[in-house]
Amino acid sequence: MNSVSQHNDYAFDADLEAMVEQFFAEKSDADVVAKAEVEGLPTGLWDAAVELGLPLVGLPESAGGSGGSLLDAVTVQRAAARHAAPLPLAETYLAGRLAVAAGLPVPAGIATTAPGSHRDTATFDVTVSGTLYDVPWAGAAAVVAVILGDRVVILNVADAEVGDGTDLAGQPRQSLTFTGAPAVIGENPVDVRLLSRLGAFLRSVQMAAAMEAVSTLTQRYVSERVQFGRPVAQFQAVQQHIVTLAQMASMSTLAVDRTAIALNTREAEFEVLATKLVVSQNALLSVRAAHQAHGAIGMTQEYRLQQLTRRLHAWRCEFGDEIALAVQLGRGVSASPSLPRLLTDPHPTLELTS
Amino acid sequence: MRFDATELTAEELDLQAEVREYLDKRLTPGSYPLGLGMSGAVDPEFSRDIGSRGWLGMSLPQKYGGGGRSAVDRLVVVEELLARGAPVGYHWIGDRQSGPSIAANGTEEQKQHFLPGIARGEFSFSIGMSEPDSGSDLASLRTRAERVDGGWKVNGTKIWTTGAFHATHILALLRTSADKHSGLTQLIIDRHSEGLTVSPIPFIDGSEDFCEVSFQDVFVPDSRRLGDVGAGWGQNTGELALERGGVDRWMSLMPVLEHWAAHQAADGGPAALADLGSITARCWAFRGMSLSIARMVDAGRSPVTEAALIKEMATRFEQDCVAVVSRHLGRAPDLASEDPYESLLARAVLVAPSWSIRGGTNEILRTVIVKGLNR
Repeated sequence: MNSVSQHNDYAFDADLEAMVEQFFAEKSDADVVAKAEVEGLPTGLWDAAVELGLPLVGLPESAGGSGGSLLDAVTVQRAAARHAAPLPLAETYLAGRLAVAAGLPVPAGIATTAPGSHRDTATFDVTVSGTLYDVPWAGAAAVVAVILGDRVVILNVADAEVGDGTDLAGQPRQSLTFTGAPAVIGENPVDVRLLSRLGAFLRSVQMAAAMEAVSTLTQRYVSERVQFGRPVAQFQAVQQHIVTLAQMASMSTLAVDRTAIALNTREAEFEVLATKLVVSQNALLSVRAAHQAHGAIGMTQEYRLQQLTRRLHAWRCEFGDEIALAVQLGRGVSASPSLPRLLTDPHPTLELTS
Repeated sequence: MRFDATELTAEELDLQAEVREYLDKRLTPGSYPLGLGMSGAVDPEFSRDIGSRGWLGMSLPQKYGGGGRSAVDRLVVVEELLARGAPVGYHWIGDRQSGPSIAANGTEEQKQHFLPGIARGEFSFSIGMSEPDSGSDLASLRTRAERVDGGWKVNGTKIWTTGAFHATHILALLRTSADKHSGLTQLIIDRHSEGLTVSPIPFIDGSEDFCEVSFQDVFVPDSRRLGDVGAGWGQNTGELALERGGVDRWMSLMPVLEHWAAHQAADGGPAALADLGSITARCWAFRGMSLSIARMVDAGRSPVTEAALIKEMATRFEQDCVAVVSRHLGRAPDLASEDPYESLLARAVLVAPSWSIRGGTNEILRTVIVKGLNR
């Protein structure tokens, strides 16, 4: 399904795609997702994913990962997002990537990262003190990986006071307060933007996949729903929403694919920023079009749509909101010699200030 | 709907570098009138110059003077031209549509006669489709071609015919029988035929490239019939696919955008920078889609739905760009400004609404897309 033309050296693995798609289609239906909102992490589903090695796909076996490439990780995250899987897969992978970059082993069990709220106060001086805000799945995780200064620091969640809270999709999102907590410190200094870059990319992957699912779901619904004696899909005004959904999803997925391939070999800062920005903007348009085409049913908790659209809202706002991303990108573009050259450059580079 | 990720190969990047180097010298700033994408100025000399370098008719067969090259190669050349607002008006339609259509549907004699001239930048084509009472609804066309000895006699009026004034040929879709769809036939008509009158219709920005073409007993030899009698509808649909998915659907404002990005946006503070960032991100995303479409064409696919899907949103995006850049100017741009970028922006403000009309209105495109999605 995710074929990449022969003009790229990298390709998505169709067998892996089929396997994970089937896994999540079977195990993450609307009831499972709804139940997780009330009861928290569905441990049976997490264990099944662990058994297949899914959380650590894309992390090197030598460091304790499941092996495979970044594109394999993308394949797993996308299938999970299409089915709104209520699991900290992206977070665990991200924490693993930080650990590997810093020369540390991939943490065992559930891991998470702090997306970097401006309210964060955690500082590191032999031990770590302060609060990390809006940490997804914080309470379910064994460890949290963050970048403090230019070091990756891994902390045990057991050492923290865990706050309350959920994101817009009803998934856990809590603060972690540490007071003189011991930390495992990475051996190598890392690029301080590593976390925001990878986080923005993963959220883009998830959003593009959710938009595809929203598009498919809506197309199916409007062809079945009859009003005024005919399926609403036959009304031109409804068709406009179908077109918008297909546009937003296909544009987002292509941007994600190109960026994934670029990230295989380089930092791809321009592509990551451009992708997160486009995908976030598209997500909002998708949400509106899908709900409008669905009418009232889409607003109810019993129906799948809201599970996907609420995730889109949550993901849009993490690892860079639209204004911050746009200003950052715009500043870089205005300092570059030529806009069209940047757009046609196979390795676009920007002077970015963080 | 899925677009495969693809980037340019080393050979394609070499071509890009070659085109850039040439155009940097041939089109020094100030030496030519800046144009809005495919509506670039008419300059037969420029068209012949790039034709002589092999950058017109690139996808036409080599045996007819074409380049025998890929759709991606053509995209590489076209985006360099559009980025500069190059004077592409003389050759644009022949290069993009009429040439490929003649290559696909024409007789051997037609290919030998027309394709080399298109590839050299000597022939300029205009497309005669719309009529006063038929815009999107081509099935209602009424301009007739009647059988006469040795050919056809054409009577009627075409309207909104871009470039007819300077064209050497008009490729017209004409009614040859009462059957709605199967009663349409294409003829290649010499622009200077007796009985053919071209009257410019002053466009909203004062330009006169938009024309009415009237035919009064215009004789067209049967050797100038493109394809079978009654095959015009299908041939036209194929032509529209060539017309819709390219970079020309989102690059119209590019010279203004480039100038704004490099010289003005930073002075506008965070609001302008945020707009610039958003525009850049979306241009990058559209470029990926156009490139992906070109690869599909090279792979022998016919991405009609994909092309319509891009055009529908890209032409709205182009218009958004006009609004955004104008907003940061802080006053209405002046059509007569000495600053060529401001003058071009003023024209863009006026003509931008046409961008989602030409080549199929968005309303029609949405129907095309939905049909394609349901297949």
